[in-house]
Amino acid sequence: MSRTKLAGLAAGLMLSVTSFSAMATDLVVYHSWSAPPEVAALNVIKAGIEAKGHAWTDIAIPHDTGSNVNLMSLVTGGTPPNVFMESNPGVYRDIAGMGLGFPLTQWFTDNAIVDKLPAAVAASISVDGEIVKVPQALHIDGMVYYNMEVAKAAGVDPTAWDSMDAMFADFQKVRDAGYAPLAVGSQPFQVGYLMHALVAAVAGPDIYTRLYGAEVDPAALDDPAFAKTLETLRLFANEAGPEAQNRPWNETTNQVITGKALMQIHGDWMKGEWLGAGKVAGTDFGCIEMPGAQAVVVTVDAWGLLGGVSDELKTAELDFASVVLDPAEQAKFAAAKGSTPVRLDAPAESLDACSVEVLRILEDPAQQVQNPHNTADADWQNSIWDVVFNFWSDPNMSVEDAITQMHENYETILG
Amino acid sequence: MSEMTVAQRAGAEIAVDRAPFFPRKKKTITGRSIAVLILLTICALFFCIPLYVVVVTSFKTMDQIREGAMFALPNVWTLEAWDHAWNSACSGINCNGLKVGFWNSVAILFPSLILSIGISMITGYALALWNVRWAGAFLFILFICAFVPFQIIMFPLITMTATLKIYGSLWGVAVIHAVLAMPVLTLIFRNYYKDIPQEIMSAAVMDSGSFWNIFTEIILPMSGNILIVVLILQITSIWNDYLIGVTFGGMNGQPMTVNLANLITISTGTTRYNDNMAAALLTAIPPLVIYFFVGKLFVQGITAGAIKG
Repeated sequence: MSRTKLAGLAAGLMLSVTSFSAMATDLVVYHSWSAPPEVAALNVIKAGIEAKGHAWTDIAIPHDTGSNVNLMSLVTGGTPPNVFMESNPGVYRDIAGMGLGFPLTQWFTDNAIVDKLPAAVAASISVDGEIVKVPQALHIDGMVYYNMEVAKAAGVDPTAWDSMDAMFADFQKVRDAGYAPLAVGSQPFQVGYLMHALVAAVAGPDIYTRLYGAEVDPAALDDPAFAKTLETLRLFANEAGPEAQNRPWNETTNQVITGKALMQIHGDWMKGEWLGAGKVAGTDFGCIEMPGAQAVVVTVDAWGLLGGVSDELKTAELDFASVVLDPAEQAKFAAAKGSTPVRLDAPAESLDACSVEVLRILEDPAQQVQNPHNTADADWQNSIWDVVFNFWSDPNMSVEDAITQMHENYETILG
Repeated sequence: MSEMTVAQRAGAEIAVDRAPFFPRKKKTITGRSIAVLILLTICALFFCIPLYVVVVTSFKTMDQIREGAMFALPNVWTLEAWDHAWNSACSGINCNGLKVGFWNSVAILFPSLILSIGISMITGYALALWNVRWAGAFLFILFICAFVPFQIIMFPLITMTATLKIYGSLWGVAVIHAVLAMPVLTLIFRNYYKDIPQEIMSAAVMDSGSFWNIFTEIILPMSGNILIVVLILQITSIWNDYLIGVTFGGMNGQPMTVNLANLITISTGTTRYNDNMAAALLTAIPPLVIYFFVGKLFVQGITAGAIKG
């Protein structure tokens, strides 16, 4: 579709939306959440919105089923939502290109919010130098969640590990006690996530940014620290038995919950499974960052607001943003969903042990980087996933082979 | 009394004697057929394993599923998951179960069926039996169109339906189903109708039958077989469709498959396998029922020349 047609469409949209403004304050909320903890969390915000006198119309499209294509088709079809859950910067560029962007930098400055956010969150909400997202919740991509009972039975103390080596050294003890030390799932996305979490933890934020940032520096691949990361990944792969093949992450989490394995390293979202099984953070399970981690990777769930609408709708959309970012609401939301608030000043007494730990880690701006989905070129990132998954699956593939392949991919995609 | 019985019996015997008599070969079960039967049974059981797991899991409690024994029978048989899936599963913030989507799907099904079958039936009839200019070229283009993936023309279709003011409504979904099914269905109908002898058409035209008269009085009554085939094809594809429903259904017209996907596609929440299995079965039941009742007619329709042409 040509630019002019899009512009015409956008103009038409604006007209049609403006004519609806008499009914204002009915917010159409587009998202991909339907699981019980997610719904409970959404209801927290809904109550806040209704307290401000607005109504909530819900439209849920499942995640990873082309959800942002669907968002664009709603916009194109003339029934756009007002508020949408979306992290991909490309979608925001498309929407801004259609004249429907809603810049929020001024609003964030007026409300003095940015300096209350962890650095990685603050970085993730901007697209091309303008704040356009309202951050809702955060997860760290590679946290260690361990079963406290198993740790006790095996006689190991995960909190005492100060390096990956110390962690792997303890694994024999766990095996001797009759447990699997590490529950992993061998799926491309799981290995890809583990890889970038390891790059941040083992190779550090500098190499991470050179590899997963907007501008890729292929020289980072030759850094000895990167080779060390792949060696560490190999140690993880060695812990994956044949049953790990294509195992979903939540089944892996269940191995730890049911006490068959000591620990899992994965995104914070696995806390939902623990809570679903009726376990309590700090009593039944503990969470720590990867031992000796130089940095952690932060994933942020964020809302976008649709611009080009009437003043009443704009006010309602900003009311939505202020409910989402209210410190107390943030804590309530996180407690319901099993996530962590995006504000460092969220009231700590309503947070569980894991969220407190995550916020403590995130107080240090130098120790955090963003999820590659927000920063990296999609083709480049997919090519990394391919290489590391082959590396993971083939014990005969050497670290040098993997690095050579990444160089070749770089030449093909970005060179 | 007894005489009559004898006479009757005699009559019956005579009748039998008169009828051509072919002695049936005695059925013997050979070792070979036993082996084939056993093999087939094993194959059938093998293909039923996933279904078994789905059915059994839908009756388990989440606590038992977490233990991980996939093939075990439920410790406690419970209908909780079925009840939850039908009545209180969440699609977004609305937790009214799959029944919302079920009725949406039903509401989508009927207009979509009528529109898609109606249009392609008449097109097929016109192309097969009337002297249409460029009919061959038109068929060729239709045939090519059957290979265009929906995703490529999605955005233009959205703009078109938005212009027609039917985007985001049941009618939007129905029109798109009709448009997309048109190539294949038209070909099917056309191939079926072209076997109707030209003499019948000539006679009908001579009886001063118009286009519509001939269609309703001659063609429609002859279309039973093919209608069953197309009905089954369309019911299955419309009921199982996800993409068209989710794209054109807008906010209130989402079919059952979208509810199902909302329930099952979990990004950062917990996965409740028993609910998922029950929901999947509930969604799959309607086409299954259709196959069960009219499956025989479907085969008849195919053998009668519906698709073989």
